[in-house]
Amino acid sequence: MPETYSPEVIEHLVRPRNVGDLPEPNGLGESGDAACGDIARFSIRIEDDALRDARYKVYGCAACIAAGSALSELVNGKTLLEAARVSKEDIKDALGGPLPVGKEHALTLVLDALHKAFEDYWNREAGALLVEGYGGNVAGRGKTVVAAMSGGVDSAVTALLLKEAGYEVAAVTFRLHDGEKGSRSCCSPDTVLFARDTAHRMGLPHFTLNLKDLFQKRVMRDFVGSYERGRTPNPCVACNAHVKFHAAAFLADGLGFRHVATGHYARVAESPEGPALARPKDATKDQTYVLWPIPKELLARTVFPLGDYEKTEVRRIAEDRGLAVAYTPESQDICFIPDGNYRKFVRKQVAAEPGEVVDGSGNVLGRHAGVVDFTVGQRRGIGVSANTPLYVTEVRPRSKQVVVGRRKELEVLEVGVRDINWFLSPEEARSVQVRYNGSPVECEVEELEDGELVARLAEPVMGVAPGQSAVFYSGDGERVVAGGVVARSGS
Amino acid sequence: MEQRVYLDHAATTPLDERVLAAMLPHLEGRRGNPSSLHASGAAAREAIEEARESVAALIGASAGEVFFTSGGTEADNLALLGLAGAAEDSGKRHIVVSQIEHAAVRETARHLESSGWEVFWLAVDADGLVDLDELAVALRPDTAFAAVMWANNEVGTVQPMRELAETCAERGVPLHADAVQAAGRAPIDVERISVATLALSGHKLYGPQGAGALYVRGGVSLDSVVFGGGQEKGLRSGTENVAGIVGLGAAARRAREKLDERVRRETGLRDRIIAGATALPGVSLNGHPERRLSNSVHLTVEGVEAESLVLFLDALGYEVGSGSACASAGHKASPVLLAMGQGEHEAFSAVRISVGKDNTVQEIDSFLEAFSTATTQLRELSPLTKI
Repeated sequence: MPETYSPEVIEHLVRPRNVGDLPEPNGLGESGDAACGDIARFSIRIEDDALRDARYKVYGCAACIAAGSALSELVNGKTLLEAARVSKEDIKDALGGPLPVGKEHALTLVLDALHKAFEDYWNREAGALLVEGYGGNVAGRGKTVVAAMSGGVDSAVTALLLKEAGYEVAAVTFRLHDGEKGSRSCCSPDTVLFARDTAHRMGLPHFTLNLKDLFQKRVMRDFVGSYERGRTPNPCVACNAHVKFHAAAFLADGLGFRHVATGHYARVAESPEGPALARPKDATKDQTYVLWPIPKELLARTVFPLGDYEKTEVRRIAEDRGLAVAYTPESQDICFIPDGNYRKFVRKQVAAEPGEVVDGSGNVLGRHAGVVDFTVGQRRGIGVSANTPLYVTEVRPRSKQVVVGRRKELEVLEVGVRDINWFLSPEEARSVQVRYNGSPVECEVEELEDGELVARLAEPVMGVAPGQSAVFYSGDGERVVAGGVVARSGS
Repeated sequence: MEQRVYLDHAATTPLDERVLAAMLPHLEGRRGNPSSLHASGAAAREAIEEARESVAALIGASAGEVFFTSGGTEADNLALLGLAGAAEDSGKRHIVVSQIEHAAVRETARHLESSGWEVFWLAVDADGLVDLDELAVALRPDTAFAAVMWANNEVGTVQPMRELAETCAERGVPLHADAVQAAGRAPIDVERISVATLALSGHKLYGPQGAGALYVRGGVSLDSVVFGGGQEKGLRSGTENVAGIVGLGAAARRAREKLDERVRRETGLRDRIIAGATALPGVSLNGHPERRLSNSVHLTVEGVEAESLVLFLDALGYEVGSGSACASAGHKASPVLLAMGQGEHEAFSAVRISVGKDNTVQEIDSFLEAFSTATTQLRELSPLTKI
């Protein structure tokens, strides 16, 4: 790396192009902060899928000013897809080669400001759609796909496989919550920045969608509310039901793209009744249990390239193709609670009221600090001493009671399921899975008139918590017949 | 290359042609080692001693009190480590150092701190002046020495050295003064101002780089830091940089002869820059308004990042410094400005303009135009500027 700036940098510094703020931008983005010493701002005007105008402002070192100027030249007049493909490498080339040591951050800074302007554009386009939920289903042209990229190895390989299969791919990363590492600082690693780099290294355009409001409303609020109501939520299910696939479809429709793809391990099987969710090749990574709520019309345009691969193969592909997968967080239980302490998280949002710990007959055995601390099947933290281990068998938020009993009392032979998403006809259901890490159990199903689906289990299952998912599989065990939410359980 | 205007004399000064002329005979075909007994060696020795006289004369010392080093940094290191080493035997493990020292002193003091010495970091006010009362309080019976720079290399503030030296002398504590910026620009007389040691550098007074000197008052004892053949009375071993020392001597002689004229001329140019620059909106002077170096202007330019301003001016043909030349590489806020109570953000917006003996009024006026242009254009670029 050089010690001094190239003549190109100095030229851009003294005669910067496209300086200013657009009077009526439809996208505005800012990156960096004064404490770091650098700030960049882009204002853009997108019309007919093209970047009609891009203006920028920078406070910072010569590298930042020159990089902003060069980037504005690179993207002005380009189509949106071409502009979103412009990478740090492209800016570097336009500036006559590598920047001096310690100045590379300038490239990240200005590119992030431009991409935040894109992000703002999509948010303006979406309006309430990305808050209330996107129901649109336009489906565009040709072999085109929007691939969700989280920054991890699975989604990176997903995008790569699609590209190699001849798709025109646009990558998208979702901003879901503020808990992401370093998301408020320009100087620290950030999943969005990493995903963008990964996409650009593959030559793909990249967009970021800000779904924080939608995620807050549909996932986090539901998560906390479930505990208040004595239910055990599954936030991944809520996200797949309302956030991720809808947002990807929104972007696909905005770009005129047909398909959406994620790095989930699952397959889409064709059937006479339409597309059905099916188990992946790698049974150990099977994610069908959390994917059941994808609406059928969205599943019809969904591609899961990893459904045909083992995880070990995916890792090998990443290594072979030289994908930067240094930062590959294995999916945590709950992405917005990085430390895993979801009790603490819930307690911060709701005031817990103390109540009684009772046995099945209503005898008071002790006191507890709040029903939000308990979930069916729980053994620890009950605070009542007994000869045999006690488990939570029921949570009654209205009377603030936590019911405890012996292990045997957790056994369930009947499950009532609601909010059902059908893929195949009910008579195909042969087994049901009621826990993320559980196995399907043979069952018979009956649809009640009030819409509840009753599953009668061939063998008892322990600790079925209301709020968790129940997913029904076909006779060959491969296809998802339907999924829903456990409303009640009985023995 | 187009005509360039050099306004970074605090970083280094151009080599005076008379100085070069004095040095050349010691570079071209000269072969004597000053330690050798033969004629060539004796000639080299003579040249060095002549230079020693000149340097001593510049600061009112006697020749025997001047020791040559490779520059200001080494002189500062030798003073601090030498004073510390000599005092350690008497059980002293405490020193007092100002917060606005050049890195040569600051980092040496930090090194001592990490080796177990206790360091009292003497604060400065918003103008960069140390507080005499605080110094008096900070000095202890076990204080090995104090170090306060004569004039600051960034903001240009000149310290009340006489009072500082008197306070230290009353308490029997040696005072080291880094006079690298001050020598040749401010009158220095160690007869009147009783510092124990004083560092200066050749390339800040139109002499060569790589030559400096440490003044050590007679009777002050210093441990040596560099060991070897025992040159410089054993205080600084190593064959002398004869040409460099001769250059330093010639530069010191010239500086003494021309001191008043240079100060008068530089002060006029300096004040022209201060008046012109601070007339622009959002430009303010750092450092003491009166007690400052004759050649130095240090400005905070609101809403403009120093590096881009310096490079912009460079592209227009004007060479100035961003903050302190030494701190600018790593994009760290200047400790001097932070010690003066400025925020990190303000510290990123500071530039130093330092005139020299050969600058002209026309150069200053054209610089002020360029400065205005650069500042205006960079502010138009800044998202922080509300226009």
